[in-house]
Amino acid sequence: MWEVLQHAGWVTTLGTSRRLYGLVSVVHYSAVFICVGTNVLLDLRILAVAARNQALSVLADQLRAWTWIAFGSAVVSGFLLFAVEAGDYAAATPFRVKMLVIGLAVIPALVIEWSVRRWDRAGVMPVTARLVALISIMLWLGAILVSVEIPALTGLG
Amino acid sequence: MYDVVLACCRWLENTPWGATVRGSSWMYPIALWLHFVGLSMWLGASLAVDLRLMGVGARRQTAAELSNGFFACNWIGFGVAFLGGFLLLSAEATTYVANTGFRLKLAVLTPLAMIWHLVVQRKIRLWTQTEQTSAIGKWAGLIELSLWISVVTASVGFLLTNAVIHA
Repeated sequence: MWEVLQHAGWVTTLGTSRRLYGLVSVVHYSAVFICVGTNVLLDLRILAVAARNQALSVLADQLRAWTWIAFGSAVVSGFLLFAVEAGDYAAATPFRVKMLVIGLAVIPALVIEWSVRRWDRAGVMPVTARLVALISIMLWLGAILVSVEIPALTGLG
Repeated sequence: MYDVVLACCRWLENTPWGATVRGSSWMYPIALWLHFVGLSMWLGASLAVDLRLMGVGARRQTAAELSNGFFACNWIGFGVAFLGGFLLLSAEATTYVANTGFRLKLAVLTPLAMIWHLVVQRKIRLWTQTEQTSAIGKWAGLIELSLWISVVTASVGFLLTNAVIHA
């Protein structure tokens, strides 16, 4: 299945054009930095490290669109980069771990989205909130760690 | 001039940390990880402020409030990105410095973006005295955003043309 994707016409074009591949890479890197950055900043607010003088829900409202637009862009551009070497990526364990870690990282991000207003009203930040934020930070930073290990361990990318 | 730069690069490569990153199979990805983690904090905070200055997206906070709230994390992110980048450079400075994308990134685009970031940080309060950002503030945000995207572009150009393969 992945081999079929890899040999599709548009994927070959993307793989052989340095400009196109470079453009998609720029989108992927920028989107990842914005997605991880805004997620971690919100987590740090929950942990009372960043922006302590601002209400959590206000900060969440301010960042929400950028977090998810960046996440969507990272997924789409990431899929395009994946397609170029789909067969090899799909078979590589570090890549599978990366997908798993990202999938797991989305869960605390959604929990935080759903809970910010409630946590804001609580006055003192609940222990659950701090725990979710801590897990979220570890997962997002873990996702970057697995990503940089893929070329180191497999030679892909 | 270039001889001096090259001499500095050779010195960097021969430092204990330069040799360690180059010689170890796990130090290079860790340095890259540090660089990316720092960049996420730095760009996440900086670009959120720039977009708010431009008046795009939610307006729950002013750009100045957002900039103040993120001030510490923003600069800690920069410090971490700098440390990671410095380690990466130390490992293979002479190879890096021969690359056009890298030269453009380190000698032109990053200094420009940094200077612009400092200007924005100093003036942001002035530009957001009212609820609406002033026209100059909007342009300032757009310019900083464009400068950082161009830094990422030069870096990707460098990564894709870098002859060194780290395995």
